Amino acid sequence: MAVTCATLPSRVSASASASASACFPFSYSLNPSLNSQPKSRKPPPPITISANPSHVDPFQLRDLLAAANHSCHRFPALTPDGRAESADPEKLRVALHHSSVVVSVFCRSKFLAEDGCGEGRYDVSPFTFEKLFDRVMPAERDRRLVGFGRAVSDGGLTASIHDVVVVPSLQGRGIGRKIVERITRIITGRGIYDISALCSENESLFLKACGFGEDCLGSTTMMYTRTATGFLTNNQAIQPAGRMLLLVPPARVPCHCK
Amino acid sequence: MPFGASIPSPPPTYLVHHLACWFQVSNKCWIHNGLSGFVPAKRRAMVLPLRASFWDSIKSGFLKNNNSTQVVEPPSTFMEEDPFPQDIVLLEKTQPDGTFEQIIFSSAGDVDVYDVQALCDKVGWPRRPLTKIAASLKNSYLVATLHLISRSPGTEGIDQKQLIGMARATSDHAFNATIWDVLVDPSYQGQGLGKALVEQLIRVLLQRDIGNITLFADNKVVDFYKNLGFEADPEGIKGMFWYPRY
Repeated sequence: MAVTCATLPSRVSASASASASACFPFSYSLNPSLNSQPKSRKPPPPITISANPSHVDPFQLRDLLAAANHSCHRFPALTPDGRAESADPEKLRVALHHSSVVVSVFCRSKFLAEDGCGEGRYDVSPFTFEKLFDRVMPAERDRRLVGFGRAVSDGGLTASIHDVVVVPSLQGRGIGRKIVERITRIITGRGIYDISALCSENESLFLKACGFGEDCLGSTTMMYTRTATGFLTNNQAIQPAGRMLLLVPPARVPCHCK
Repeated sequence: MPFGASIPSPPPTYLVHHLACWFQVSNKCWIHNGLSGFVPAKRRAMVLPLRASFWDSIKSGFLKNNNSTQVVEPPSTFMEEDPFPQDIVLLEKTQPDGTFEQIIFSSAGDVDVYDVQALCDKVGWPRRPLTKIAASLKNSYLVATLHLISRSPGTEGIDQKQLIGMARATSDHAFNATIWDVLVDPSYQGQGLGKALVEQLIRVLLQRDIGNITLFADNKVVDFYKNLGFEADPEGIKGMFWYPRY
């Protein structure tokens, strides 16, 4: 996947395969036959990828999730116009703190201005030192969070990937794939090879392209969806989760058997 | 009040020490500190008063049964989130030979990694490296265990403790939780112990406002989980796994 790195600080690694094979025993390469991208796929604008959790601001993340209409709840409550309700930044902060891997993608706002207009045009005004400086060291505050992904792991056996989002104006250009690949590279680098991800029907194609597939052991993915039907009895409680009102199982009392 | 002065309400920590009751644990116990970042200062498994809502439901059960077990009345709204694990006696039984047995559910995660491997062997699971099992237990959000405590008559105060069931959940503490490694000793299966394990896990997760509870079930146990309120591929959500490409 060719990437035009116009700015020096861009740390997108075009040779993901080369560095990946240095990380773990079996060789891992971006299989060309997997590159079933349409020929018209545009490369992404200059972006930086970071695996440092402190680079993510929960408020920026909330806005990114809202822009991509992605909810952290699997069964989100929808506002009247059909969008998912926005996430609580404090909860996002907690989730980020307890995620084993946090990958964020940043882009300078000038590349987000219009759909691809920013990069096609070449700046023909006189070249000054200011411009060179700005090109080499873009202002910190100019970085916009355009992509995100995280993984939760138990540090030994399993990991699960959550909340992979890319801002809609930059979707379809390989950024999401880079995020997933970076996450899997980090996790497998720690010796964990059981990596799962939940997705909807249309996201499954994206994950397939990233190297995911159905479980070879044939396990069934299940989620807790029991809701209260009818009136609640004395010791029943419900817990809202998105738009679901999940039934909380009752507490156990000791059973004395003689 | 005859003394004329009002007694100030004691600070919560004072109450903790007075209301806790202690269990005996074997020396091989091993600390788990994955619960909300709180690490117990000493090695212990204790029954502690929890939030009022949890105790309300237990109290209603007690009042109905009207037995002589003492109910410790906790202070209401004591702590935001229960920092200490709880133990629940699921079953009590006195064997014909006088042995007193209890099956205790605990979410303390006090579990020896060798016991876990022995249990995995009993149910027939493939062996996994001990260090990986230990790491995964340490970093799991919740580790629930079922122990069988037996006290033979004549051996005062010395309890045999055996691990007969386990389940664990990983989580980001906010939105998602995945349940892994649910197992019950084959000799104790069929009694609803697995159901109790999973139900209590779900209960704790939901009480902590973690709404996405997922698991990946073997084909043979899909019905078991359906019975517990799980749905396969709800709304078209699929689970996919990573496969290395050569």
